[in-house]
Amino acid sequence: MPKLIRLHGQAADWANDSFVLVGEEDAVPASGDVILSLARFQAEGAALLDDGRSVGVVLESDQAVEDLAYDLPRLSLVALRFPKFRDGRAYTSARLLRERFGFGGEIRAVGDVNREQAGFFVRCGFDAFEPADGSTPEQWLAAAHRFRHVYQRGADGREPAFVERNG
Amino acid sequence: MKALTANTLREGEVVFWNKGAWKLRFGEAELFEDDAVAEAAALAAVNPTQIVEPYLIDVEAAEDGFAPVAFRERVRALGPQNHPQHGKQAEGGHDIEVIQHAHGVARSAGRHNLIKLKK
Amino acid sequence: MYRYDAIDRAFVQDRTAEFAGQVVRRLAGEITEDQFKPLRLMNGLYLQLHAYMLRVSVPYGTLSSVQLKKLAHIARTYDKGYGHFTTRQNIQFHWIKLADTPAILGELAMVEMHALQTSGNCIRNITSDPRAGATAEEIDDPRVWSELIRQWSAIHPEFSFLPRKFKIAVTAAPQDRTAAKLHDIGLLLRRARDGSLGFEVIAGGGMGRTPYVGPTIREFLPAHHLLSYLEAILRVYNRHGRRDNIYKARIKILVAQLGAEEFARQVEAEWEAMDRPSVDAPDTELARIRGFFNPPGFAVLPPKSEVFEGAKADPAFARFVRNNVHAHKQPGYAIVDISLKAPGETPGDATADQMDAIADLAERFSLDEIRVTHEQNLVLPHVRLDDVPAVFATLKAIGLSTPNINLVSDIIACPGLDYCALANARAIPVAQDIATRFADPERAELIGELKIKISGCINACGHHHVGHIGILGVDKKGEEFYQFTLGGSAAEDAEVGKILGPGLPANRVGDAVETLVDVYLRERKDGERFLDTYRRTGLTPFKEAVYAEAH
Ligand code: SF4
Repeated sequence: MPKLIRLHGQAADWANDSFVLVGEEDAVPASGDVILSLARFQAEGAALLDDGRSVGVVLESDQAVEDLAYDLPRLSLVALRFPKFRDGRAYTSARLLRERFGFGGEIRAVGDVNREQAGFFVRCGFDAFEPADGSTPEQWLAAAHRFRHVYQRGADGREPAFVERNG
Repeated sequence: MKALTANTLREGEVVFWNKGAWKLRFGEAELFEDDAVAEAAALAAVNPTQIVEPYLIDVEAAEDGFAPVAFRERVRALGPQNHPQHGKQAEGGHDIEVIQHAHGVARSAGRHNLIKLKK
Repeated sequence: MYRYDAIDRAFVQDRTAEFAGQVVRRLAGEITEDQFKPLRLMNGLYLQLHAYMLRVSVPYGTLSSVQLKKLAHIARTYDKGYGHFTTRQNIQFHWIKLADTPAILGELAMVEMHALQTSGNCIRNITSDPRAGATAEEIDDPRVWSELIRQWSAIHPEFSFLPRKFKIAVTAAPQDRTAAKLHDIGLLLRRARDGSLGFEVIAGGGMGRTPYVGPTIREFLPAHHLLSYLEAILRVYNRHGRRDNIYKARIKILVAQLGAEEFARQVEAEWEAMDRPSVDAPDTELARIRGFFNPPGFAVLPPKSEVFEGAKADPAFARFVRNNVHAHKQPGYAIVDISLKAPGETPGDATADQMDAIADLAERFSLDEIRVTHEQNLVLPHVRLDDVPAVFATLKAIGLSTPNINLVSDIIACPGLDYCALANARAIPVAQDIATRFADPERAELIGELKIKISGCINACGHHHVGHIGILGVDKKGEEFYQFTLGGSAAEDAEVGKILGPGLPANRVGDAVETLVDVYLRERKDGERFLDTYRRTGLTPFKEAVYAEAH
C-alpha cells in the first residue's frame, strides 16, 4: 500500500515510492533508488551516482542543508525529518533548499508528519509527504489550501497580501 | 489516601471519579486507601472524549471530613479566592467548608502524573 | 486604527473555520488530546485549573469601542461576566467551554479580532506603546510597524514551530512603556542624521527563569528593511535555538551563549544572503497601512480649557488629573489612564458592564479608541480637556476612577494559583492585600512612583523581575512562599531586580512591603523615587529592616 502523498500543482495523489530508505546499519541494495543518511551519502553516494542510480538524502532536523550544497544538482530528493512535529527546523531547511540553492527535486517530509502541518509544508517548498496520521490526499489538499490569502512570500510562489493589494 | 480528578473535555469543568462516574464535587469523590487500586482505577477511567488530563491527588483527613493535600488541588476543588461566588465554593455546604478550613502544610507533591504511571 | 480589508477578513474567517473543524474532530474523538492540545494552544485556548481559558489578541493594545463591546458581550455570554487584561496587552477569559470556542472566535472575527498566536511557539501579539498616536514624544507612529509585523507574522510558514514563544515590542518614544528591552526583540524607532527612519534592534531580552536585559544587535536598521531583518533573526533562532531544554529554548539563551556580537554577525550574514526585496513590504503597502493611523480628526482647540481647570477645585478630580491624565500632542486634548487597580479588586480585571461603559466613553469622548497597557490598565488616548471632568464622573460611577497610575497600589499581578495551572502560589490575594494597605490616596501619592509586580511562578507573567519591588511566588515544601527582588525596571533604564533575601511566608508579605516603603521614606532625598533611593543606597538598609523583623 502506498504511504506517500505527492503534490502536483493543485492536485495531490497517493504515489508509489520507488525509493528505499537505507537503515544506518544496512547494506545498500544492489539496485534501485535509495535514500541515505548524510554520513552514508558522503561515504558512498558518489559511487552510486556514478553508477547512474537515483539517490536521495535524509537530513535530520539538526543537520544543515549547506552540507549538501554541492551535491544537490545530482540528488533526486531530499527528505527532511520531523522528529516531533513541534521541531520546526526543517521548514527553514526546505525554504533554503528551494529559495537559496534552487533545488528542483522532491522535498519530502518524513517523521512526525500530520495534515495539520500541510499548509506550512506546502508554503515552505515540500512536495511529498509520508503522513503519520493516516490522512488521505484529499484531506491534505483541503488542509494545504485552507487559506485563501497569505501574508508572506514562501517557496510556493504565492503572492502575499501586500502584492495582491497593490496589484 | 488518593482521589482521581480530571477536567471534562467539553466544558473544562473539574470532576472527581466515583465508581464508574465523574462527579462535580470533591465531596463526592471516591477515596482510595490503596494506591495500587487508585492507579488501576485511574487507568481504567481514561475516556478521551469525556475528560482530559486525569491524575491522582493526595487526600488527607481534615477536621470532620477530607481535603486535598496540595494547595493547588484545594483551589481546584473550591474556586478562585478573588471570586467566592465562582467555582465549586459557590454552593457552600459542609464539604466545601471542610476544604476551606483545612490547614497544615499542603504538599505540592499531591499530583501524580498518569503518564509516568503508565511506564 | 487599522481596518481589515477583504483579504484580512477572509484570512481570519479561514482560520476560524479551520479551528471549528478541529474542535469537531476532537469532540468526536477523531484526534487525541495530544494531537489537539497544540492546535488549541495556537488559537489561544488553554486548560487552566477550573475551566478553559481563552486569550484574545488585542493587536498592539489597540481597541475600538465596537471591539471592546464585543469583549463585554463575550464575557457576559460565554464567561462569568468579566475578563482579565494581561501584561501582554491581551485579554483572557477564565471560564470558557471548549464547545463554545468556535462560536466565540466567529464573534471576534465579526469585529476584526482573533485569538491567533496568543499561545504556542510562534510570534505572539506585538507589544506597543499605549500612547502611540497621542504622545508628542514619539518620532513616528509605532502602530504602523506593529501592524506590518502582525501581518507578516500571521501563520508564518517558517516560524510557527520555533524553539519557544517569541515576543516583539515596538516603541518610538524615549520613555519606554513597552518593556522593549525585555522582549525577544525590541524595536526602538530612531531617526538618522539625514532624517531617515530606522530601528535600533535589541535581541535576546526576556524574563522567566533567566532574565536578561537584551543587548543592541544593530544600532540602525533602515525602516523599510524591517521584515527581512526580522526574518533573518528568526531564521538564525529557528535553526540554532535550543530545543532540548524548555528552559533554555528562548532566544535570550542563544544570544547569551553566542554573545551579542557573534549573534549579530550570524544575523547579518543571513540577511546578506537573503533575497530582501522579496521579503520586505513595498512602500505602497507601508503607505496603505500608514494611512490608517493618520490623526483621527482632532478638533482645533485652545491649549487651555476653563472647564478642565475649573473642575480641579474638586480635590478628587485634581488628584485624578495629577496621576491619570497626561499631555497629548494635540492642543486641547489629554490622554486619560483608566486604572484597573482599585484597591481590593483583582488587578487587570474588568466586568462586562465596565467594558461597555468604557466603550461608550471612548465612542463619545476618545475618538472611538481604547488602549490596553502592559501594566494591565486601559487608556482613553484622545480626550478633549473640556470632556475630562465628564469622563471622570462616569469612571467614578463605575468604580474605575482610582487615581493611582504608577503608584504603590497600581500593582501588576498574574492570575497565579487562583486560576493558572502552572502556578506555585497565589498572586491576586497578595496584590489585593498590599493595595488595600495603601488604599489611602494621599499616602500613595506621598510615596510616589513605585511599581510592584507579582508573579505566581518563575514564568514571570507578572514581570516581577522588573518591578521596583518584585514578588515571586515559590513553592517551599508545599507552602506558598514569596521571594522579593528590588530595583528592577521595565522602562528605558531596564534592569533586573536583585533578590532581597530568603522567601517570606504569605502572611508576612504585606508587612514586608510596608517595611520597604518605610525604609524608602526614611532614606529618600528630595525628588527621589523608590527606585532612585534603592539605586543610591543598595539593598542593605532594606534587607536589614525586613529581616530584622523576623527575629
Ligand atoms: S507567572 Fe506563572 S502563575 Fe503567573 S500566570 Fe504566568 S505561568 Fe501562571
